Formats: sequence, structure tokens, C-alpha cells
Amino acid sequence: MNKLINHILTCFLLLVIFPSAFAQVPAPGDAQTKPIAIMNAIAHLGNGKVIENSAITFEDGKLTVVADATTIRLDLSRFRVINAEGMHVYPGLIASNTIIGLEEIAAVRATRDQDEVGEFNPNIRALVAYNTDSEIIPTTRFNGVLYSQTTPRGGRISGSSSVMGLDAWNWEDAALKVDEGIHLNWPSRMLYPRWWRGETEWRVNEEYDAEYDQLSGFFKEAVSYGEMGEPTVPNLKMKAMSGLFDGSKTLYIHTGRAKEIIESIQFAQEHGVKKIVLVGGDQALYVASFLKENNIPIILEDTHRLPEQSSDAVYLPYQLPFLLKEAGLKVVISQWDEVMKVRNLPFGVGTAAAYGLGKEEALKMVTLNPAQIMGVDDKIGSLEVGKLASIVVSEGDLLDMKTNKLKHVFVEGREVTLDAHQQRLYEKFKEKYEKQE
Amino acid sequence: MIKKILLACMCLAVFSLKAQDTYQVNGVKDERPGIHAFTNAVLHVDYQTVIPNATLIIEKSKITAAGDGVNIPKGAIVHDLMGKHIYPSFIELSSDLGLPDKESSRGAGPQLAPTTKGAYNANDAIKAYYDAASHFTVNTKDAEKLKKAGFGAVLTHSKDGLVRGTGAFVALGTEAENLEILKERASSHFSFDKGSSTQDNPSSLMGAIALIKQTYLDADWYKNQNKMVDLSLEAFNNNKNLTQFFDAGGDKLNILRADKLGDEFGVQYIIKGNGDEYQRLAEIKNTNATLIIPVNFPAAYDVEDPLDAINVSYESMKHWEMAPYNLKKLQDAGVEFIITSDGLKDLSKLSEMLEKAIEVGLKEELALKALTFTPAKTIGMESKVGSLKKGMLANFIITDGSPFKKDTKIFENWVQGNINSYKDISEKDLNGKYDLTIGKLDFKLQISGKPTKPDFHIIENDSVKTDVKSSVDKTLVTLSFEPKDTVNATGKIRLSGWITENGLNGKAEMADGSWVEWSAKRTGDLEKKEEKKEDEKSAGDKEEPGKLIYPFVAHGLPEKPTSETILIKNATVWTSEADGVLEATDVLLQNGKIAKIGKNLSASGARVIDGTGKHLTPGVIDEHSHIAISRGVNEGSEAVTAEVNIEDVVDSDDINIYRQLSGGVTSAQLLHGSANPIGGRSAIIKLKWGYGPEELKIKGADKFIKFALGENVKQSNWGDRNTVRFPQTRMGVEGVFEDAFTRALAYEKEWKTYNSLSKKEKANASAPRRNLEMETIVEILNGKRFISCHSYVQSEINMLMHVANRYNFKINTFTHILEGYKVADKMKEHGVGGSTFADWWAYKFEVNDAIPYNAALMHGQGVVTAINSDDAEMGRRLNQEAAKTIKYGDVEEQEALKMVTINPAKLLHLDNRTGSIKVGKDADVVLWTDHPLSIYAKAEKTIIEGAVFYDLDKETEILAGIQSERARLIREMQGDKKNGKATQKGKPKSQIIYHCETEIENYSSLK
Repeated sequence: MNKLINHILTCFLLLVIFPSAFAQVPAPGDAQTKPIAIMNAIAHLGNGKVIENSAITFEDGKLTVVADATTIRLDLSRFRVINAEGMHVYPGLIASNTIIGLEEIAAVRATRDQDEVGEFNPNIRALVAYNTDSEIIPTTRFNGVLYSQTTPRGGRISGSSSVMGLDAWNWEDAALKVDEGIHLNWPSRMLYPRWWRGETEWRVNEEYDAEYDQLSGFFKEAVSYGEMGEPTVPNLKMKAMSGLFDGSKTLYIHTGRAKEIIESIQFAQEHGVKKIVLVGGDQALYVASFLKENNIPIILEDTHRLPEQSSDAVYLPYQLPFLLKEAGLKVVISQWDEVMKVRNLPFGVGTAAAYGLGKEEALKMVTLNPAQIMGVDDKIGSLEVGKLASIVVSEGDLLDMKTNKLKHVFVEGREVTLDAHQQRLYEKFKEKYEKQE
Repeated sequence: MIKKILLACMCLAVFSLKAQDTYQVNGVKDERPGIHAFTNAVLHVDYQTVIPNATLIIEKSKITAAGDGVNIPKGAIVHDLMGKHIYPSFIELSSDLGLPDKESSRGAGPQLAPTTKGAYNANDAIKAYYDAASHFTVNTKDAEKLKKAGFGAVLTHSKDGLVRGTGAFVALGTEAENLEILKERASSHFSFDKGSSTQDNPSSLMGAIALIKQTYLDADWYKNQNKMVDLSLEAFNNNKNLTQFFDAGGDKLNILRADKLGDEFGVQYIIKGNGDEYQRLAEIKNTNATLIIPVNFPAAYDVEDPLDAINVSYESMKHWEMAPYNLKKLQDAGVEFIITSDGLKDLSKLSEMLEKAIEVGLKEELALKALTFTPAKTIGMESKVGSLKKGMLANFIITDGSPFKKDTKIFENWVQGNINSYKDISEKDLNGKYDLTIGKLDFKLQISGKPTKPDFHIIENDSVKTDVKSSVDKTLVTLSFEPKDTVNATGKIRLSGWITENGLNGKAEMADGSWVEWSAKRTGDLEKKEEKKEDEKSAGDKEEPGKLIYPFVAHGLPEKPTSETILIKNATVWTSEADGVLEATDVLLQNGKIAKIGKNLSASGARVIDGTGKHLTPGVIDEHSHIAISRGVNEGSEAVTAEVNIEDVVDSDDINIYRQLSGGVTSAQLLHGSANPIGGRSAIIKLKWGYGPEELKIKGADKFIKFALGENVKQSNWGDRNTVRFPQTRMGVEGVFEDAFTRALAYEKEWKTYNSLSKKEKANASAPRRNLEMETIVEILNGKRFISCHSYVQSEINMLMHVANRYNFKINTFTHILEGYKVADKMKEHGVGGSTFADWWAYKFEVNDAIPYNAALMHGQGVVTAINSDDAEMGRRLNQEAAKTIKYGDVEEQEALKMVTINPAKLLHLDNRTGSIKVGKDADVVLWTDHPLSIYAKAEKTIIEGAVFYDLDKETEILAGIQSERARLIREMQGDKKNGKATQKGKPKSQIIYHCETEIENYSSLK
């Protein structure tokens, strides 16, 4: 009790002395000092499996037990025990291909850090611009998303993405995997109509062949640069590319239309790129067998989007993750429309679950699948012993907005403060009105 | 070069038949009698009268006699037209022949004022002063193309601006303009395209419509005022007695819009359409307008590559097939139409297009009527052109058959008695078999192919075919060939000769250099090939065209859904009423209303739907939607545009209507955007997919208008150029409102004063100018129109409530209202509702304090709270958006559902008829597969007024139908490609999904 009063006093003092404290995102959680056990929850492991009555323990930020509570015997005397009966436990969700940490307010130029000038920027790194104090982050975490593949935008080659944890003091701490992939915006054979000029019909891209050749030249130079060992004239762009050819970096190809999908992947293979991931792929269904044969995983954009054509099934985007999975592909569900919408990632997954996938398979597409694609599945992506304790405990089904209510969130064993700017404003005005009554 | 020009001038002078009385003659007067007699022709006197073996006599520019038993006057030049046809030449009503090109150059940044120099209109797009006759010059090149296609005269007018001035009816001759203009002021023209005007207003279709309406009112007022001179309005009034034309191209719905506009001012326009009228035929017929219809049927798409074929939309494919049927459908519906060649890239394709239309059922005489009599009649010229009778102009064409056949030749096109010759009329058809004798050698010769380009072949030993190089120039023939049989002759034989009565004669030079005589004697006709028969056969086998669907978009249906008696059994019923949620309950829908709610209901003849395990809710209502709007959601060109009306531009054929239905939405307010403080009026619709725009609008619904505050109206995010239009600050926004309401009060007073005058006094006073903008704002002041105001931050919300209080009215709804939670108590006190996003924020500075608890807090303070979409995608998941209020702010489930049902109904004043499940209300309900606030719920049936507009179970069937229809159309198109017909590359089309902010530079080319 004393402690509590103390705490309240401290808060009060902080308020008085540092009124600006209200405008700060919450501090990251303290490092785990005591082992924690989450007992009796329904555990959705992220690898497709469910334990209806689970026992999950973690120590020093790593999972130590993930088991059926009805069969395992544990000595919990030195544990902090969280009774989560009736609740749901998940691995933290991973938001692929987002600009979290790079953009704060879309309309304010000064807060946008995702799009560098120039066409070929493989050496540009999203990591260093990642703002751990972005107000977007706590709102995203609030719904169960704990990792972001923070990715630059624009140009032909936008730069390198990194996998970031959404609870950290600085980008260094946040980085789970640095510069894991390079992002290529494949040229389009058809250009989107300039609607503001009143166009509704796409145009043929007359520059396509030239753009293809330019890319081809760049990749050829990069390959030969890599073979030179230590060139006399160093080239940062070429150097940054080298990871693509030895398999240490993944090439993320952003393209949507069927022919470009085939062309771009064959292009990358011809140039000796080892790991290729397709990002977008609106028309991937038309070339699913090609993608399967070549073992290309796909990161899909927002499930909640309109079909491309009037003749498409009204629910085609909802169903697409299921259809692609059925075609034998490794699928990731993402949400990159607007950065503030990333917090709705779980609901896009819920929708995909409703349209054929089922909850566990759908969940996999924002947990284990992206972790595998980004090469971090040894650390995150599922609730398995030895992996990081990045865990979400929700009062109900995480994938349904009606029941997505987080009780505890741990990032690498650290308990995360969920409430931030938005909750504080809520409390502030709720209190105001309560006083009026 | 100079010589050539001189020669051309001489030619003109020589052929001139009519004297230009006021002109001096340089040299000797050369006026000729110009009497021609055309004999033995099949004379098409008009579209319905044919006289075989007739004679037509013309003298100078006029017809002096036509028919059989006509005496050929002395001195007539006789043209024997045995086997030939004479038709009245065609009349083109949609043309800008001989008018100078419009120029347009837009500077950077806004242009609020007009740039036309002089005492002209306040808007550059009002060009009523434009007089085609005073700008017309003879354009030989363009006229030639028209004449070759069979036209003799055109109604030329400027195709620039909303009000385009007058048209001149001109003949296609090449004499001086003084002689070619047949009627100087034949017509008056309008359109929805502002053309070269660079003035910001209008920036949307609805803005264009409003501007034309205001111009009618201004012109009316102008007649009785003496304050100012406006040459545009002056001209507008002067043009009123002419035939009024409206170019409503681009979309069949524009025909309905043009006609409605005309109805408002007692004008029946002749309306130019788009060639897709069959898609809304019933509505278009009801306009009773005479239509001008283009025949630029699209070429088949190249669908060889299936991945490229994805690019071709279903609608484009179906239209490709249906386009040639358009005229037949209009004909069968009894719509009067005129055919235009406008829109054809290649005018010579006119006959081919018409042949297609006739093949599928257009009557030939109606085609002729639509190119001759009807256009002449519309502009009051039927006594001069369009038929071939005594006293009329000698405007006719001479052909070898119906002019609506691709292979028919137009030999001559006579314009005002002047000949334009395109094919030699005396040219002989050489096709046939001949005995060819060259010196002592004998060959069999065959001539085949088109008469204009005959192919010559030598047949040796009955079978060996040798090509003969040939050219025919008038009556002279040049041939050369090398016989294969070298027994009698070796090497190339070269022949030169001439056509005779029954063959050819001439001289030949043999390979050895010796000269001999040669002749070819016609021995008979060629054997008819059997290919033709096959052709006919395949034409007969042609599959019937696909079914018409309503709307003409994928997912449209052949039959529009109609109200049924439906009994939903044993569902969990969310009433959105005090009754709350009723378990295992039956609901009976009858005559479009909710008839009964209870247990164990039965109704004879009702369609019974088992609702076990399912949930029935009221239809979802979207307070803030921008779907189903044609060509621009913002008229953001001025700070106040209360004159514009979304009702004028409802697009009944937007696929997003169907998509919203799939998310359980039954009603929506289609709002103007948020580009200006006082935007346009709303349309409130039910999503009756398949029905026309007028049927979508809810009859008798209260009237609404969009207001807006904050960054959008300040143009904060529009770039550095847009810093000119007032207001640029939140202070200025209040200024706009104060000014508008002050002016509106003064306006109302001015009219009240005028209306209180006695009849006698009125006669001496001039009526105030009617102002559509002010009229609308007066409605607000008088509680006859209600405001839905786009708003974000608390200061501006507060401000607008104060403004309203000062003018004694209430704001109805704050929409978006993301900081409503900060002033919820004040909102409650004012009595205004809040319609908000569930969780949007961070997209601009003013939404930084937007929190997802907003709805919960406003609701907690007793504000009528709704969740809206502003987005076609989110609009179909409003139930889920409502569910977010449970997550953020612990709103009770039933209350959450009310935020997308009865609450928006209240905000739109529709709660007396929809928004809850209550006996007597409209049967607007949704059956869900699951808890309606769950992410897993799918709308299974969306019912509006008892008619099922969306049925999840049927979606599979619809998709299968689309797939097989698409496959059939692809087969047809491949057939076209195989037959060598032109194809076009398919390009995908992307619809613009409107949001509040969407601003478009060129609205007129949008669909």
C-alpha cells in the first residue's frame, strides 16, 4: 500500500514538475529479473498449434516452458505467476514492410523519413532513422504487434530494412536483425492513371525496357563488384548489394501484376540472388504455380482492401491469403496502407481466418511465416522454448476487435506499458466528465 | 508553289456555279447554266421513298425536278446512272468544322476570376456570345473527309465551354463562306465540359451543372435590370429561341442529367450521347429527348495472352459486343435519334459501323432517316436538305448500293450543285473470263478482285496460274507477264492497251523486241466462289449477345431485385430499439416493410429463410460516404459552393454500391468533400443496386449540406501554390460563415420585400437576382436544410456551434469530429450529433489528438454518436468499425451496433423509417452469419425494402456467370482477330475512390 502511495506521489510530482511528461511515450519495460509463468491460458503458438490449457514460463527474456498445463508439473515458487485462465496467449505479431518509426504525421513533411531521393539506394538504411519515441508505436503495440520490418520507400531500390522490436530506448536496442533485406520496386509495364488529371485508364510504360536494362546493368555491376574482393575504388551502393549474392540478405521485390512477377523473379534468379520474397503481388494468384515452383514466399498487402476489378469476388482480398496458401505458397499478411493502420493488422488476420484459413493458420501469417522469411525464426515468431519471450496476453480472441484486449505484453521478457498518449487523453477527459456529474 | 496556288484559285473560279453578287469579277464573267440530268437512277427521294429508274434534274444549286417521267430540259448535261443510286447526302450535327482551335494555357496556382477580356460573364466557361458563323472558314481538308463519307452539310459549333454559343449550318462546298453558310444561327449549344477555361470554378461535374443552372437564372434576371452589362448573358437570352443542343457525352447517365437540367428551365435539349444508351434505356427513353448517337463501336480487345486479357474489364468486353446493338435498342424503344460520325477516328469507317448496326437489327431506313431527315428537321432545315425534292438543295450522293455497306462506293458527292468526284462513275467492272490473243499466241485471262483494283491472271493449260502485273488508269491498261509454258514464247511480254466494249485491245512488245497486236475478248463471268456462303453461314451461327445487366457492371443482374414477402425464422434479432436483442425470434417482411416480429410466425407464400444460429440486424447506415458519385466529389474552387448538389451526380452504376451491400450497408449519405467551408448539398440514398439514380434517392428525405473546417478548407496540405483562396486560417473560416449567413439574411429580406409588393408595384420593380448559393443557405437558417460538418479540433467545433447559435439554428452533425471527446458536453448542450471514425489518426497534424475512445466518450455524454466510413473500403466493414468502440472505451454491444444503425438514421432524420427492426419501418435488414460485431461475421443477405440486394450464397453463382460470359466474349474476340479485324490492346482501368480530400484538375474526362 505504501508502495502504491509512493507511486502515486511520484506520478503527481512528475506531473507537477515535468508537465511535459504527458507528451512522452512510455518508457520501455524493465529487464526481466524474475521468472514469469503465464498459466492456464489458451495458447496460440504461432506455428499452427494451440494448447487449450497452457503453461508458459520464461526467464531472462527467453521461453523456458511451453506446455500443456494439465500434464506438466512445475514448481512455481520462485515465479511471478499470471493466472490467465480464459485468456489467450500469442507470440507478438510481426508487421512486415511498414514505415513504423519512419513517419509520424503523413501530411507533415518534416516527420517523414522513409523516402530518399535517387533511384538506386541499396546502401540507405531504415534502421538509423527509426524513431523509438514515435507515438505510432504504442498504439500499434496496444493491439498485439510487437515487431516491425521497418522498410524504406521510393526509388527503384529503396534501401535496406531491419527487423525492429517495438519497445526500446533507441534504435540500437530495438534492432533484432539489422539490414536483413534490400527492397526493389520493380518497374511496371503499365502505369497507374494520373487520376488528378482525370485519367482512369492505365498507360503503357514506354520506358519499361530501358528501366529493365538499367536495373540489369546495376545488378551485373554489383555481381562483378562482389567478385573483386577489395576493389581499389570502393562503391557503397555496390557493396551494399553484395549480401544478396551470398544469401546474407533477402531481395524483396515489390510488384503486383502477373507478368512483372514472373519477369522480376526470373531476373533476380538470373543475377544469382539467393533469397527472394515477393511483396504485394495483387495478381499472384494467376502465377501461383510459378511462385511455388520457385519457392518464392509472398508478403501480401492489407487484407482490408477493395478488389482490383468489378468482376472480382467482393471478398477476393479477404480470401487471397487462403487461396495462395492452398496453392502451396508461404504467405505473410501485412498492413502497409497508412502507418497508423498497422495497429489493425490483427483484424486483417481475423478476416483472412474467416475466409478459409481458420484462426491458427491465419495467425501463422503474421508470426512464424514472417519470422522465417526475415530469418529471425530462431528468436521470434512462435511460442517455443528457447525463443524470445515476446508474448501477448489478451482477454479474448486477439484477431477480433470486439475481444482484442491486452492484459499483459512482454517484449523479450520485459513487461511493456500499454497505455500512452491516446489512453492518457481518454482518461483525462473521462475524468473531466466524471467530475461534472 | 505560286503556280499551284494560282491554279487552285482558277479551279475554284471555273467551277463556281453561284454568283457572289457583291463581288467584283476579275476578268470575264463565267457563270454557267449548271443544268444536270441524272437518269436511270434508283432515286431515294427521302428515307422512306424510293423511285426506281428515276430522273433528277438540278439547276445550279437547286433541284428542279425529281421522279419518274421527268423531262430532260434542253442544255442539260446528262449523267446516265443505270444501276446506280442517288441518296440525299448526310447531315452531321456534331461538328466544329472550320472553327479555329481553342487555346488554353493554365498558369500555376489558383485562378479565381475570369480572364476573358471585356464585358463578359463572371465565368469563362459561359461562352454564349460565341457565334460560329462569324468564326467559320472553309476547311477544305476536313470537309473532304466528311464528303467522302457521304455528308453534305454540317452544323458547326464551338466545342468549348459549358455554354458554347450558336451553331451555323454550313454546306461542305469549297466556295466562299458567304455561299456555304446555309443558316447563320441554327442552334445553341451546351455541355458539361468546361473546356479551355482555366478558371477554377467549376472543378466538378456537379459544379458545372450548378453553374449552368445559375446562368439560366442570371440571364432571366439580366433582362429586367439596368445595373450592368454582361454580353454573355445578353447572348444567352438571344439564343433561347434556337434549337438547344446538349453534348452529354462520356456517360449515359449524363443524358439523364442534361435532360433534368433542361426540365428545370422548360427546355428540351437535343442530347448528344455516348453510344452506351442501351445500358439505361428505360430511363433514357423517359427523357423524350431526341438523341445524337455516335457509332464509334470499339474494336475487339487483343485477348490472345491470358495474362494481358486480365487487363480488359468485364464491362469493356460486354460493351464491345453490345455497342453495335445500341441503335437497334433505341429504335425498338421508339427513341428518336440522329446518327453522328463524331467520335470516329477514321470517317471512312462510318459505313462499316452502320453495316454492323444494321446486321444486328437497325432498320436501314431508320439509319437513313437519322442521317438525313431527322437532323434536318431538328434545325428547321427539312425543306432545304435531307430529301431530294423540287426546290431543295442539290445535296446528294451517287452510289452503287446502300451507303450502309462497307463495300458500297460513293462515286460522287454533289454539294449545292457542285460535283465532288471520288470514283470514276464510268469505270467498268472488268471482272470475268477472257480469251487473250497476243499475236499468234493464245491464253486464257481472268480478271477478278475489286473493280477499283482488278487482279489479272493467265491460266495456262487449264490450271497453271500466272500472275500478271497490271495497272488500270481510266481506260488505259498496262500488263506484263512471263508465260510458264515456254514452248511458244520465252521471256516477258509487255502489253499496253485500252478498254473496249467487250474486252481489251492494244499493242504488245515481245521479249525479243518484236511488236504485235493483242486483244482480250470477254467470254463470260467468273465462277462464284463458295467462300461467301460460308461467310453467311458463320454469321447465322453467331451466338446471341450476352444478357443485359443492371447496372452494366460485373455483378449487375438481368433482373432488378424486387420486394418479396420474407419470413426470417429463429434468428438472434438485434432491434436497435428498447427491446434490445431478441433470441430465437422470427421477423416477417412484407410489402417492403417490417410486418411482424415474434415467435412462431407464419405467412403464406412467404420465402422462409432459416435464421438459426444467425443474427438479424437493421441495415447499416453510413452517415459519411463518397461512393456512387460521378466526376468529382469536391467543388473546392470557391469557399462557398452551396449551389452544387451531389443529387445531380449520383452514379447508380458504381461497383462500390454492391461492395457496400456485401458489408450490410443499406443507406448512405453521399457527401460533398471537405475542400471548402461551405460545400455542396448531399444525396441520401438507399443502395438499390441495379436501379437508376432517381430510384436510389430516398424520396422525401430531409435535405443536408456539407460544411468543413480545418486543414482541408485552409488548403494546408495543398502545396505552396494554394495559399491564395480565402480562408487560409481557422480565423478566416469563421469569417466565411459569418459572411455567408449575413448575406443570406440580407438575401432573404430582399426577396421578402419584393414578394410583399402588390402586383402593380411588382410591375414597376425588378425582381432580385435568384442566387442558388444564397437560397441554400437561407434554407439552413430556416431549418429546412441540415448541416453535416467535417471537423477535427475542438476550437473550430466550438466556433461553429457559436456561429449557429448566433443565427438561431443548430448544427445537425459534426462528421469525423475526432476531437469531439474534448467538447462532448458542449455538443450535447447544442444538440449536435457526432459521426466519427473508429480509429483513424496521424494522417495530418490536426488529427494528432484523435483517439479511438472518441465515440465512447461522446456517447457517454449523451451525444448521438455514429461511426462513418468516408471510404469505400471501410464502408463495407462498418459493423467491425463499430465493434472497435467495445475495445476502446467499453461501449456496450447493442450501443455499439446502434452507432451504425439507428444513430446514423437519427442523424440523417431517417429514424422514422429505417435504422431499427421495428414493425412498420422499412424492411432494411441484414442477416449475418455470426455475431454482427465480430470480425468473423459475414453479411449473408442484405435486404432493402424487402428486396434481397446482396446474397452471399448467390455470389458464387454470379462469379461463375461472370467467368463463363467472359470466356464466351473472349472466344468472340478471338474470332474477330482471326478474321483480320482490328483489335486494341487492353488497358486496365482504375476507379478513383473518393475521399473528403479528393480534388481533380480535369473532372470532365473522368468516369
